[in-house]
Amino acid sequence: MTDQDASRSQNIKYPHWQREFEAALLEGDPQTLRQRVDAAETAIFLRSQALVGNAQGHAERQAISDAIGTLRAIQKEKLGYPDWNK
Amino acid sequence: MAKKCVAKKRVLLVDDNSAVRSLVRQLFELEPDYEIAGEAENGQDAVEKAENLKPDLIILDLSMPVMTGLDAAPLLRKLLPDTRIILFTVQQGSEIERLARAAGIHAVVPKDQAASNLILQAQVLLASVKQEHRPAKLRNAS
Repeated sequence: MTDQDASRSQNIKYPHWQREFEAALLEGDPQTLRQRVDAAETAIFLRSQALVGNAQGHAERQAISDAIGTLRAIQKEKLGYPDWNK
Repeated sequence: MAKKCVAKKRVLLVDDNSAVRSLVRQLFELEPDYEIAGEAENGQDAVEKAENLKPDLIILDLSMPVMTGLDAAPLLRKLLPDTRIILFTVQQGSEIERLARAAGIHAVVPKDQAASNLILQAQVLLASVKQEHRPAKLRNAS
């Protein structure tokens, strides 16, 4: 693990999905980007399910909502997904 | 005594994320009244497969490559007017509800709600199909 990786790990606030999300953000290879985005989406979906009924999860839900917006922008701008909100 | 044979409701899963499709498949496979008729990975794939599979219910993602759920829904409705469509999406809000309704989608279930809501919504929608197909005399009596 590099110093940079170690420093990043310490900043992980939401371990159930944040690593996958950051991996998608940092992915430079277009071939791998789709897999990274899918992995982040899956992790977020599973975490969202786990947060159902959890009254303490407000900040994380907001972070998830922001992450979803970012993933959508990546899908549109880098992966060529059509815009559903035309 | 003869067992009453009830046809299982056929479901088409449409999502570009294979892991999400797999999770939703597992959810429906736990229910005795449903069977997964097929899977599609984008809206265009869904339209092509729906024509042959003739599902009772389509679980449709919103954001997908090639063709979005909102673009696929009107084509699916035209092809299979009796089939119920649920938009299963991470996006939420009144704007999504409005766009979904305009596209002919019957219900929107957010992906951050309990997964059991998806099954519940499916039951409600498919019960409404049954109701529509009852003779008018019986419908009015109930």
